[in-house]
Parts: sequence; structure tokens; C-alpha cells
Amino acid sequence: MNSQRFRKILDAILVPLLAILSGLVIMGVLILFLKKPLFESYAVLFSNGFGCQAYGNCIFITALERATPLILTGLSAVVAFRSGMFSIGQEGQYLVGAATAAWLGYAIHLSPVLHPLVLILAAMLVGAGYGWIPGILKVKLGVNELLATIMLNSIAALVVEYLVQFPMRAVKSTTAHSPVIDPSAQLMSFLPGSKWGVGFVIAVLAVIVVYVYLWRTKSGYEQRMAGQSKKFALFGGIRSDNAAVRAMLISGALSGLAGAIEVMGVHRRIMTGFSVGLGFDGLTTAILGQVHPIGVFIVAILFSGLKLGAQIGLQLKLDIPRELGGTIIGFIILFVAAGKLYEENIMRARDWLLSRRGSKLKGESH
Amino acid sequence: MTVAIEMKGMSKYFASTHVRANDEVDFSVEKGEVHALVGENGAGKTTLMSILYGLVKPDSGEISIDSQKVRIDHPDDAIKNGIGMVHQHFKLIPSFTVAQNILLGMEPNQAGFLNQQKENELVEQLANRYNLPVDPAARIRDLPVGMQQRVEILKVLERNAKILVLDEPTAVLTPQEVNELITVIRGLSKMGYTIIFITHKLIEVMLVADRVSVMRSGRMVGTKKVSETSIPELARMMVGREVLLRVKKKEIQRGEVVLEARNISVSDVNGLAAISHISFEVHQGEIVAVAGVSGNGQTELVEAISGMISLDGGEIIFRGKSINETSVGQRRDMGMAHIPEDRMVVGLNLQTTLDENLIVSRYNHSEFSRYGFLLMKTISEFAEKVVKSFSISAAHPGEGISMLSGGNLQKVVVGRELSGNPSFIIANQPTRGLDVGSIEFVHKTLIEERDKGAGILLVSVELDEAMALSDRILVLYRGKIQGELKTATATEEEVGILMAGGTLDDLKEDTRDARHSIKREVDS
Repeated sequence: MNSQRFRKILDAILVPLLAILSGLVIMGVLILFLKKPLFESYAVLFSNGFGCQAYGNCIFITALERATPLILTGLSAVVAFRSGMFSIGQEGQYLVGAATAAWLGYAIHLSPVLHPLVLILAAMLVGAGYGWIPGILKVKLGVNELLATIMLNSIAALVVEYLVQFPMRAVKSTTAHSPVIDPSAQLMSFLPGSKWGVGFVIAVLAVIVVYVYLWRTKSGYEQRMAGQSKKFALFGGIRSDNAAVRAMLISGALSGLAGAIEVMGVHRRIMTGFSVGLGFDGLTTAILGQVHPIGVFIVAILFSGLKLGAQIGLQLKLDIPRELGGTIIGFIILFVAAGKLYEENIMRARDWLLSRRGSKLKGESH
Repeated sequence: MTVAIEMKGMSKYFASTHVRANDEVDFSVEKGEVHALVGENGAGKTTLMSILYGLVKPDSGEISIDSQKVRIDHPDDAIKNGIGMVHQHFKLIPSFTVAQNILLGMEPNQAGFLNQQKENELVEQLANRYNLPVDPAARIRDLPVGMQQRVEILKVLERNAKILVLDEPTAVLTPQEVNELITVIRGLSKMGYTIIFITHKLIEVMLVADRVSVMRSGRMVGTKKVSETSIPELARMMVGREVLLRVKKKEIQRGEVVLEARNISVSDVNGLAAISHISFEVHQGEIVAVAGVSGNGQTELVEAISGMISLDGGEIIFRGKSINETSVGQRRDMGMAHIPEDRMVVGLNLQTTLDENLIVSRYNHSEFSRYGFLLMKTISEFAEKVVKSFSISAAHPGEGISMLSGGNLQKVVVGRELSGNPSFIIANQPTRGLDVGSIEFVHKTLIEERDKGAGILLVSVELDEAMALSDRILVLYRGKIQGELKTATATEEEVGILMAGGTLDDLKEDTRDARHSIKREVDS
């Protein structure tokens, strides 16, 4: 039984692992083209993405901080995908959640524990509402959720941009941003000079909650069954429509939460160009993480580290454009998409090995 | 007679599934004969034929064609050696015409331009030559399954095949189409073609084959002349033990009405009337068979009763209550069970574990969930219990089911549906595609449920099955009940004439269906 489980896990991580290795090999090729030192580049990439210089001076801590919103938008995508909704609306839900938290952060004044709670709940609610729209459109009118969420992403981006430029704009600012939120609404960080804090803990909790929800509750069961086979769900008496709408509500709430944490724990306000593609990165995180909460958690940290390593290490120390970081991630995603390539070859290799062993065994028995 | 194919000592081990699919198999086919290859699901028939066609590479063994040793590493080699394969799932392009499919990759062209006219003429000639009329200009997607199969056969013949391998060709056909196919096979055999016919329906073996080879768990059990064997003997060879071909049934103990359909009408997916104004009842302790050629409204009838689609008119009454507005889940809670026609897509979710498949109709009940959480341990114990009581040896709680054979998958469905003590069971083609051993199991289980007092609506396109299991037969024809018969006194001729849309008055001595008279001979 135990070896069965081990094999299952191995099967699940094999492709992402090989994809990451392939991505790093491609990076080496690109670095050689740039005529930069190969091994040093790798060393710099890792030490600046995942390393620790001294106690309290860890780049890895920054990687964890950057991973926080990615984990949440990744979970958001996991909940939607597992329930058969190919929603890519994380970006929009993230933005409306962030705007909500930023506004309530300065517009109302509450005590230190209550204030963040209210902000978080409000952002999750608004995010859920924004996720509900494509959900209900799909269920009632058959509108493709992919198209609906793309459109809603653009709408959210423009509306939030307008809010930041005009109604929410802080009076004296040169570049548009909202007023700083009340100290009572800010999320605590664990280390001075770092923004790694309560937000990360919330993200870890969310990983556990999403896992338990999807695999241990009735509602999660309904959603996964409806996601895997609508006909089977209908046959068994599961209401797929309810499950789909519920999935979009939860997915939206998680992305909204990501937005709130980014506002409350990192920027303390919302400014123009707030989203740097975190929504979409969440999507790729979910895919590389095998659409599993634990996978999302690991991949989010890995991505953040790679980006940091490229940004701080490669760019500053070796004068290699930091876009290389994004390029590697792009290649990794590409290799995951081409996962069949590995799977087939692995299967073939395994068959060959086992058949050799099988025929040997047979030979002995004769 | 000369030998067309000789396969010697073929072995194939699939390491990923730990299955020795072929173990030192010897197989030889004579020129011009129709050779049936039978065996239960997973016996290794398809692997053997895939080796012959170059789709699977054997670990050992040699193949000779016309006494010449050959290497077949790829389907191209097989085609060069005159071997053609008609797969169970057709390899046709639905949006192309018949002619375009048959001539795919070998179209006549002038300076790179296609000539539709000429293609059609070529296919017309080909069809006439083999006496297999088709409309060359028709699109595949518009053709019935039997006609598509004919196109597949023509495609293989056009590629100069002398040896045709037909992989379970009758699995997808209606009884009429089966009769036509049998005529086609006989005709090709007379023209000198060699035909290998893979099946697990023994009646077809008796009707069409000259010789038959039986496989069981990867080994060749033996080859017999059809004229020197019988269905019971072949069944015994296939399963390895005595098989009950006819189930024994107790006297009917009919109880109250459990389900009643009052003047119901149902539309199909395209909104066309599929069932129009029919009424019937099913009592406790009886099996009512809905017989008929497939496509006469069976699917819609079953989906409407189970609650998957809604009625256009009429009323369904279950245990005394109208269930027109009742959801699938509520109907199931009231004691309705459903063994669907399609176990791969509808009845099971192959992407998830055995446990999760077994609770789909009852995850909501307090036995399997509390405060919204699933009771994982209870569910796993339940799976263990189902596996034991329905002897689904290959299935394990907590593991996936996608690798299970058709028979085992059906056992999972039956196990789930019957373990809730249902008062009414819809069994839609419960033995379709199953081998003899599994059919016996399903039949026995359904009879047991009947004897325990459940009402069963058995939908079957297999006349034999309807006759063997049911107490009453309703014949469905174009969405209406063409007639109702008591099984004990009904004859196959009577059911047959109703299935074809006739009435019992039409029945005369000379309208006896050839198939049944042949069957008599075979049985006696």
C-alpha cells in the first residue's frame, strides 16, 4: 500500500521535475549564447533565489513573501479547474479584491484585529462576487467561462485603474496611488525590513483548507466529480450546475484574498499598474503544480525564487537581462505542456527494463 | 487447404500492467476460411491480432504468411503482406465522404488536383466488385454504424488485403446489421478471402465461422471445427469451468406496483419525439424487459425514468408518488437504482478511485458523511465490502479503476447499484460487451434481486437476454409500445415481428427469421 502511494506521488512529480530540469538546461544554452560564465550563472541564480547570507538576511524569505499571492491565485485556479471550470479570471478577481481592501483600509477605522478581518472578508466577498458572474453565465446561458473571464479581467483592470486615477487617488501623489491604509489594517511581518508575515501564514492555511475541502468534504467531492465527468455526476444525482457556481465563488474568494494580502501586507495601498501578472502566474503555478494544493505551494515558491534569482542575481551581478528568469519559467511551462514526451519515453524505458527482468525471471523458472 | 497465417510461440509481456497477454501462443489460419478467435475480455485475442498487424512488438515468436517467414514491425508491413484490419472503433473521418475515406492517401490526382468525380467512380466500381453497395458521395457522419463498417471493409479491400481481421465487428451493430455482416463475410470467404473474426458471442461463431480458436488468460486453449463443437463446449473452454448459459428462475412472486408510467412522452437531444405516449407498470418481484432494436427510444425512456432528462408529457409514479419534479438524487434516495448502458462515461468516473465511484449515489447519506465531511474510513470499509461480496478481484479500495476489464467495471457498477437494497432497478443493456462469465454473474445477480422483491426494468437489444430473464416483455418500436407479451408463452418469432414493427397477426409460418431457425439447429 505504502509503495503504491509512493509511486503515485512519484508519477505526479516526475513530469514537473523533468520540465524544470529541461528549463534549466535551456537556460544554460541561452547563457552560453550570451557568452557568460555557465556554472557561475547557475550558482548565482540559486543563491540569490533560495539562499541565506546570514540569519535575518535571507533572500529565501523574500521568495516566500513573493510566493504568497501566487499560492493563493494558484489555489484559486485549482478549485476552478478541479470543478471543470476553465477559469482564467484570477487576475480580475485579484484586482477587485485588492481595490476593496485598499479602499476599506483608509475609508473606515476599526480596531487592529477587527480591521484586517473586515478587509479580508470584504475582499473575499467581492472576489467571490466577481467569480460568480462567469459561473452563473456559464450555467444559465452556456457562456464559455474562458471568454467570460478574459473579458472580466480587462474590465476589472480598467475599472481599478480608473478608481486609482480618480476617486481613490491620494491628493498629493505624483504617480497615481490610493492613500496609505490605516496601521490597524496592515498585516504584521515577522522580520524587520521584510514583508514576509501573517499573509504567508494565511496562504499556508488556505493550502490546507483547499486540500481538505476538495478531498474530504461532500461539496468538494461533488465539485471534483462534476469536473471530471458531467455525465457521471448527472447519473449519480450530483447537481453539476450548483457545483460549478460554488467553485467559481470559492475561486473568486481566494483570488480576492490574494489581492487583499498584497495590499495589507506588502504595498499598504493600491497604485496604478498594481497587478504584475500575478493572476496569470497563479494559473501557470496551478498547471505546473499538477492542479494540486501542495503542488501549487511548492511551485509558487520555486517560481518566486527563480524570478528573484534572475532579477537580483543574474541582472545585478552578471549583467544578464532579468527577463531570462521569465523565459525559463516560460520554457518550464512549455515542457509541462509537452509532458507526454516524458511520459511516453519513461513508460517505454520502464517497460523495456521490466521486460528484461521479466524474461530473465522466466528464464530462471525454466 | 493451404495455410494462410502461421503464428508460432507468440509471447508478449506488458511490464507496466504486469500482464502476460500472450504466452507461447500458436495460431494458424487456413486460406479462404472464416476463423473465429474467441475468449473472454483480457484473454489476449486483441494482443495477438495487434502483433499480427504490427501494432505490438512480441517478445518472442515467429509469423509466416503463405509459408514464408515474415517480419511485421509496423502496420505498413502487415498491409504489404496482405493483412487488413477492421478495428472495433472505426478509423474514419466523419466529415469526409465515403470515397474520400476509402481512397485516403491514394487519391487519383491530376497534377496535384483532386478529381472528386473519378474518386466516386472508383469507389462505385470497388463496391460493385465486392457486392457491397455504398453511396460514395455520402458523408461518414450521416451513415449508420453498419454502413460505416462496410466502408472500413472496403477501405481494407482497396489496399489489397487478402486476409481480413475483424475486431469484435458485431459489438456495435443492430441485429439486422449483424445479419448483413454475416452475409458479407460469407461472400468474401467464397471469393477466396481469409477472415479472422474476433468475438465473444458464441452464437455468431456458430453462424459464420468454419473453425474457431479459443484463448484463455493469454494461452491458446484449442482450435476446433465449428461443425464438431457446441456452444456449451466453447463456453467451457473460454471460462475454464462449466457455465450456466440459461439462468434458473423461481416462480414469479408478483407484488404491488412499484413504478408506473402514465402516458409519458420524451424528446431526444435534438428535440425530436423519442417516446410518445406510452404507459406501463412494473411490479415488485418481476422483471419487465423492454425489447427492441436499439435507437427506438430506449435511451430516452431510461434517462426519463432515472430523472436525467425531463418528460414532455405524462407522469411517472414511483412507490405511489409522482416523481415528475423529483431530482435524480431524490429518486435514488427513494430506492431507485440504475445500471446504465454506458459504464465507461455515465456509470463510472474512470479518473477517480474505486471508493469515490462507489459512493456517488449515496455520499449524501449519513452513513457516508457527517457535517459536510466525508467519512473516509467508512467509505473505504464499504468499498472493501463491495469488492468482497461481488468478487471484484482486480479492484482495490483507494485505487483507480481505469485499468479494470469491462466485466470488472460492470461489477463495480452492479455492486454499487445493488448494495443499497433498491426497490426498483433500471438495467439498461447490463451485459453489453461482457464475456460469458460476467454475463452469467450479472444475470444471476438480477434474478436474485427480483426474488428479493425488487421490480426490474430490463432494457435489452439482445432478444435472448430479454427472453431468458424477463417475466414480461414490452416491445418498443419507434417510441411506442408495439406489443406486450408474457415471456413464458412468447416465442422469439412473436417478439421478432413486433421488433420489426409488425403485429402478431402478421405472423405466419413462413416469416420465420433465418437467424432463429439456424439457432435452433445449433442449440439442438
